[in-house]
Amino acid sequence: MQLHDELELLRSRIGIVSYGVAAVMGVLIFGFWQLQVVQSAHYADLANKNRIKEIRLVAARGKIYDRNRKLLADNRPSYNIIYTRENSPNTTEQTIAALVNGLGMSAEDLNQKINRKRKDPLYQPITLKEDAGTGDVAFVMAHAYEMPEVSVEYQPRRLYRESQVAAHALGYIGEVSEAQLRDFPDLKPRDLVGIAGLELIYDSVLRGIDGSRRVVVNNSGREIETLSDEVKPIPGHDIYTTLDLDLQKAAEEVIGDRVGAAVVLDPRSGEILALVSKPSFDPNHFASGISFFEYKTLLDNPDKPLVNRAIQSVQPPGSIFKIIEAAAGLESDTVTTLDHVYCRGAETFYGRSFGCWKPAGHGTVDMYQSIVNSCDIYFYNLGKMLGIDKISQFSTMAGLGRKTGVDLPGEEKGLIPSQSWSQRVKRVKWALIETINVSIGQGQIGVTPIQAALAIGGLASGGRLKQPRLVQPQELRRNGFESPDVHSENYTVSENTVEAVAKAMWGVVNDGGTATVARVDGFDVAGKTGTAQVVNKSSYKKGGDNEDHAWFVGFAPYRNPEIVVSVLIEHGGHGGEAAAPVAHAVFDTYYKKKTGHFNAGTAGKVASLMSKRP
Amino acid sequence: MRFRDLWRDFDWALFGAILVLSAVSLVEIYSATKNSQFEQNTAVRQLVWICLGIVLLFVVAALDYHTISEQIPWLYLAGIGVLVYTLALGRTVSGSKSWIVLGPMRFQPSELVKVVVIVAVARYLSELRNVRHLNLEQIVKAGMICGIPVALVALQPDLGTTITFLPILGIGLLVRGIKPLTLVVMLICFVLALPVAWPFLGQHQRDRITNFVNPEQDLKGSGYQVNQSKIAIGAGGAFGKGIFKGSQNQLEFLPTRHTDFILAVVGEEMGFVGVALILGLLGFILFRALNTAQTARDELGLFTVMGVFGIYLFHTVENVGMVIGFMPMTGIPLPFMSYGGSSIIAAFMAMGLVISVRRRRYVN
Repeated sequence: MQLHDELELLRSRIGIVSYGVAAVMGVLIFGFWQLQVVQSAHYADLANKNRIKEIRLVAARGKIYDRNRKLLADNRPSYNIIYTRENSPNTTEQTIAALVNGLGMSAEDLNQKINRKRKDPLYQPITLKEDAGTGDVAFVMAHAYEMPEVSVEYQPRRLYRESQVAAHALGYIGEVSEAQLRDFPDLKPRDLVGIAGLELIYDSVLRGIDGSRRVVVNNSGREIETLSDEVKPIPGHDIYTTLDLDLQKAAEEVIGDRVGAAVVLDPRSGEILALVSKPSFDPNHFASGISFFEYKTLLDNPDKPLVNRAIQSVQPPGSIFKIIEAAAGLESDTVTTLDHVYCRGAETFYGRSFGCWKPAGHGTVDMYQSIVNSCDIYFYNLGKMLGIDKISQFSTMAGLGRKTGVDLPGEEKGLIPSQSWSQRVKRVKWALIETINVSIGQGQIGVTPIQAALAIGGLASGGRLKQPRLVQPQELRRNGFESPDVHSENYTVSENTVEAVAKAMWGVVNDGGTATVARVDGFDVAGKTGTAQVVNKSSYKKGGDNEDHAWFVGFAPYRNPEIVVSVLIEHGGHGGEAAAPVAHAVFDTYYKKKTGHFNAGTAGKVASLMSKRP
Repeated sequence: MRFRDLWRDFDWALFGAILVLSAVSLVEIYSATKNSQFEQNTAVRQLVWICLGIVLLFVVAALDYHTISEQIPWLYLAGIGVLVYTLALGRTVSGSKSWIVLGPMRFQPSELVKVVVIVAVARYLSELRNVRHLNLEQIVKAGMICGIPVALVALQPDLGTTITFLPILGIGLLVRGIKPLTLVVMLICFVLALPVAWPFLGQHQRDRITNFVNPEQDLKGSGYQVNQSKIAIGAGGAFGKGIFKGSQNQLEFLPTRHTDFILAVVGEEMGFVGVALILGLLGFILFRALNTAQTARDELGLFTVMGVFGIYLFHTVENVGMVIGFMPMTGIPLPFMSYGGSSIIAAFMAMGLVISVRRRRYVN
């Protein structure tokens, strides 16, 4: 009996166990129910993310040409090494360790690149190496099995065919910033966007629309099949600019290593034929992901190569301002062309002696002679008679002291002083003695090279100001973009006034004036030199910085001009010696092209042959 | 004993459940390995193991479990011997020296030793008479019977297999009867042993435990496998993606698909329906074992079946819990489903024991 009882006891204990088993099996079934029925959609999504890899098909950026279909900004094939953290079987440390040797990059460098994008979603690829070499590409492809998280991406990359030439006009591109991503919903992370120049202003025209291809991959990242929903990339629109590469090169060549700028306009249309800023930089370096060190070197360079001097360098205009002042004098009936002044080499105004650049004096000079020889005494007197507000009013009307509206970013507006400006900004009454300085373009006055070209060209064209443009509205409309007409302004200036100043400027170049070097046989070049004293000259110790700024502004032909050139050589010395030769090269090239005598160098020939294809 | 008796008293329902599980296992093992260049003919080899298992199941079922119990001293010693031999001359696979090679076959002796330990522990517990609660000496003796082979397996070191031995002892002690206080003391000792054992664990074992506690922390490291398993199961939904159509399985995102994570393959390709079928059959087998134990003619039969029950309850709960992240990751196979010759053979023989006990059950 006892044995039977004992067995019964054991059996009863087993009965308790069975409840436990039922409970545990219930919990497990509940777990599957949660995963497979309640949260199934979530996990199905995760499974798809596992197996479907989206490959970005990078759209080529629109090309940029000059006016003669010569290619300035092209694209070339290139490869990026990218890293996708999602679903990686390796830790970031392991991946970096494996790549240090393979890609020849330091672990710190790789770490930095990954850390910068640390907060991005895990599926977002991180670019580890832009413009990778064939060795890098081969390494990544050979290790696709162990490192499915690292892959190669094709990307058409910007190629600026003329490297440093016209770099400031073209600008450069770079990876989209977080601020841009926030402000422009059509931008996606890792997009390349314009950062400066035309690349920035016409980014939406030039930028294409990336496509995508979805592929099914296995655990080792091998592509098993391509899904049929491929979206082809749409390349950006090509842009034909108004630039003339031959004129651009002519100006750049003569400026050489000096610091300065040149702007060449067609005053009839506002088309910019050349826009030079020196020293320049190679925008190709930005296209392949400029290194921090390289960028810092550019920023730290005291000559500031990234500054576009043509539209950003505000300098006293020196004697080129005399043209505007002369026109102001004639238009306000303050003087006539026949009035004359006796130049003794110096004269006292408001108790202070002001000298002429020629201490011996010019003797009796009328307007023509005073412009041809750039007599300061004549213009001191004219300025005093006009007063600052008349000077200011006419200058502003002529296009100085305000933005020209050029289609480039970061234009400076310069400074044309007036009594109200003095009151408003400096909070002092305008000192009359300052008017004497301003009347020869010195002191509290500043213009940019593009303003000088617009104002002088506009005056010579009878008071017609055409907004300077690198890309004409019709070019944008051709690409399907809306664009307002070129802004055009006309101010009243008499035929006689235009004739008087233009004739005098012709004399500067062709009648023994200060800029005979700018003369081109058969092409009636007119111009005016300027030599602007450097402000706070005494504070500069280094030799080069003590030099005056050299200006030249000219146009041709002297009646109904087709081309206007302004040149600024910073610390270049005399306008006639430093700046006028640059203009001469431009006028000479322009005239030769016009008359069919232009003989481009070998490079130019090749370029023109290549650009024959439409 | 006549063959006709075996035929008549045989537990066909239990056997049928095992056969259905085996059939599903063959399909999904084939599905899990057909794309792999490393595991060719895995399903065919599994089929061979299953056939061998069926033969052994019938052999064990035909034997009287008392006969087996009588042979247990030398069987137990032989088991110890084989384990020592394995430690000395075994083959090391993924860090554990747990395999011996016999001609074309590789074998894990620890799996077979489990069956021997089941009967050995059952024999010891069944021979105790007039005992309501085990005393310390009896607990230690039972612990030694189980503990010696466990220590040898732990030395291999094969942590997963080691802990699968413990339920034999645990369920035996619980059913045989221990004082609640003793149980509490044992549990406290076990919990206190954890931090002491921590430094002795291998890095991957520690990773598995920390990842069980916090699986989202490191999806790329050891948590990766369980995460992929959950994705596969969840993506399968109610009815599955269809056999041979699970992307997690076919594109090899699932780790150890044909062995430890075979249930994730079932979950992805056959859905909740398939999983419910598998769990239902496993549950049926476990309850059948409990029923067999309750109706066993004597204590030896009862404890033998409870040992089998303990082992396969633990296998099932641990493996099923692991694939959905309810349990830490260990290399414990799912009974009748995971690929693996040794574990299949052991499971079929263990079921033979159950059927043997059931044939001689106490009938009112």
